[in-house]
Amino acid sequence: MEIINNSKEYDVIVVGSGAGGGMATKILSDAGLKIAVVEAGPYFDPANPDQMTQLKWPWESPRRGSGTTRAFGDFHMSYGDWEVDGEPYTVEKDTSFRWWRSRMLGGRTNHWGRISLRFGPKDFKSKDYDGLGENWPISYDDIKPYYDKLDKLIGVFGTKENIFNEPDGFFLPPPKPRLHELFYIKGARKSGVTVIPSRLSILTKRINNTRGVCFYCGQCDRSCSAYADFSSSSCYVIPSLKGGMVDLYTNSMVIEVKTDKNGRATGVSYINKDNGREYSIKGKVVVLAASACSSARILLNSKSKAHPNGLGNSSNLIGKYLHDTTGAGRSVFIPDLINRKTYNEDGVGGMHVYSPWWLDNKKLDFPRGYHIEIGRSFTMPEYGFGYNPNEFNKFFGLKVGGYGDKLRQDVKKYYGSTIGLSGRGEAIPRKDNYCEIDPNTKDKWGIPVLKFRYKWSDYELKQAKHMHDTFEELAYNMGGIALGNKPTKEQNYGISAPGEIIHEVGTTRMGNDPYNSVVNKYERLHDVDNVFVVDAGPFVSQADKNPTWTIMALSWRTSEYIIDQLKKQNI
Amino acid sequence: MDRRESIKNILLGSIGSSVLLESCVSSLDKEVLDKIWEYQYGRTPEEKERDKKFLNSKFFNENELKTIEKIANIILPPNEIGNINDAGVVEMFEFIAKDWSTPAHNNYGEKVLRRGVIVFDELCSEKFGLKLLECSESQIKLLFDEISYEDKSLKDQKESVKLFATFRGMVVTGYFTSEIGIKDLDYKGNTPNVWDGVPNDVLDQYKGIVSYDKEWIDKCVDQSKRGEIAEWDEEGNLLT
Repeated sequence: MEIINNSKEYDVIVVGSGAGGGMATKILSDAGLKIAVVEAGPYFDPANPDQMTQLKWPWESPRRGSGTTRAFGDFHMSYGDWEVDGEPYTVEKDTSFRWWRSRMLGGRTNHWGRISLRFGPKDFKSKDYDGLGENWPISYDDIKPYYDKLDKLIGVFGTKENIFNEPDGFFLPPPKPRLHELFYIKGARKSGVTVIPSRLSILTKRINNTRGVCFYCGQCDRSCSAYADFSSSSCYVIPSLKGGMVDLYTNSMVIEVKTDKNGRATGVSYINKDNGREYSIKGKVVVLAASACSSARILLNSKSKAHPNGLGNSSNLIGKYLHDTTGAGRSVFIPDLINRKTYNEDGVGGMHVYSPWWLDNKKLDFPRGYHIEIGRSFTMPEYGFGYNPNEFNKFFGLKVGGYGDKLRQDVKKYYGSTIGLSGRGEAIPRKDNYCEIDPNTKDKWGIPVLKFRYKWSDYELKQAKHMHDTFEELAYNMGGIALGNKPTKEQNYGISAPGEIIHEVGTTRMGNDPYNSVVNKYERLHDVDNVFVVDAGPFVSQADKNPTWTIMALSWRTSEYIIDQLKKQNI
Repeated sequence: MDRRESIKNILLGSIGSSVLLESCVSSLDKEVLDKIWEYQYGRTPEEKERDKKFLNSKFFNENELKTIEKIANIILPPNEIGNINDAGVVEMFEFIAKDWSTPAHNNYGEKVLRRGVIVFDELCSEKFGLKLLECSESQIKLLFDEISYEDKSLKDQKESVKLFATFRGMVVTGYFTSEIGIKDLDYKGNTPNVWDGVPNDVLDQYKGIVSYDKEWIDKCVDQSKRGEIAEWDEEGNLLT
């Protein structure tokens, strides 16, 4: 096939426009560098009325919001979910992995929970504590200045708590707890579980004159048209386009990084999804931010004489040490919350309170911690509302089922009476959990796809068991009833399938030793001096913290390094 | 220009190929336009195509639709706020029957929804010698009294009981996700507001069970200053 070459040479080509790519685009273009951003999905602006789902009512969808075309429901802002048309992935027998991809400007930052936690000092050096996994080549002190800058640039609410491994930042004030969250606080305190205001990148207070302030619709997963929550589209890429230094290539799916005969990168090739043709663009530096697994795929598919194994893969570690957050959840029925008075309790998009990890693993039979997120049910009905509408009658010796006005009354009686508890924990990265190129399968563009191999170990399973024990204790102390049965060992203690928490990291891990890692502490490939990875691929371990804030802090740090190296003409 | 007008213009004009332009030009399609206006909810071009296809094809025949309507009206009878028709419940059945009629959904439209109508009709024939539509409301209630509760002694419930539970779920979901259903439920959100905590009259109701503690609330946002740009000292203490 003929390849269409663009003669223009960019200073930096950024592949992907999510958290890492958006951050790099902003910092690099602000420094006056000429940037190409190559995004596999279409243009997306949360404020575009044709794309907006915020403040829509369920009846505005003929399927009332059910998840036929979008796995998390019609109004959820992600183009693409566990499956993307024509772009399959495969999974090795007897293992599992679910891979979420959002194909759109801003990627997954348009739909995420905005939980913006810093990694703590311990999280960068976990091996020192339990001998498992690997330490990061950097410490909290190396990254702290970037977390600080990020807090001030993007805005995150929270409170100063002085907890060693949950570092404080520059916080906006948090919203007051909701009613069910007061029940959680009560239960947590009785159970000896730490509970503090949550830390979300949502503007409870103005941070600059270009973004709005939260108006409490509780719909951050739909992406905010007032830009009052953080999305890479609204906060990084769209503003950067106005600076004139950024060319945005949408619907452009990168195939590989191109290299010269010495093995240095010269640019990337991509498929234009609108016409199916292959193009290439040139750049002095290539920054991969396509998501941990997509970047691994691009590197593994970038084979050349200089890099027969895939670009940057002399260690054979690209794709290895893939790990996702662990998850387990339980609903709790609170009899005190039946027949609630109604009022607008939407609040911000997500919990107003949460529990950071509160125990010492030295006294437990699993090595790493988890945090607890609190969900709610006093929300806008969508498809699925009111199935088993009066199931809780069983707790009062009343009949379950029936029809008619009695049923209608039961729906109202129980509306808002449950609380959701979700544990989100740290897994141990393992070399034998990985993604690799499947030699037998290509996507509809002819690009070889990924094959996954992933199994939880006892460490994660025991952690999930502990989550359920905790949920039951919390439920009791809230004056509630944990619903359903506690999952058994045979049911893997109810742990989520790998990938399901959508925090996959570790595929191009960072280290000082080129034989034992893929990128160095500035996220540069050990093998090639002008290719960087700024998504979650370089994570050595992922704590029990949601990865976005750390992806961005690292990407900012790497971007400054790239600017410095270009200035010094080192690359 | 109102919203409907502007959307019509978008449909007929600038966006063009991505949305049903080909069918917009004929007068037949006023109905289609109205439907698309009704369902303007941030779709991608591919999603729009899917909606358009299902909104313009038929799954249930008139008799089946009337049967569903009658069942739905008994599951949730009309009240002063509205009824099943106002809530668009039958239209939702019709749409979901098509939307979920793929092998991935195990042909839900055919195997569950249409099957439900057939089974309820059969039971009415057995009991009263009539189709469901020909039965009186009290006759139908006699049937529903039998199939709307699970038999705890059975591990696997009878087909009619399972089908009724599905119909009930669809009706309740359809009703309470409609404009009148949300009014009936008295859900008060999905509108810009300023959250400043649980209202006092509600807190009063929970006195002795849960309450705000001062230390926590003192750290929370002062909503009178939400419009002031945030500034911090070097220690991260908010100054504004």
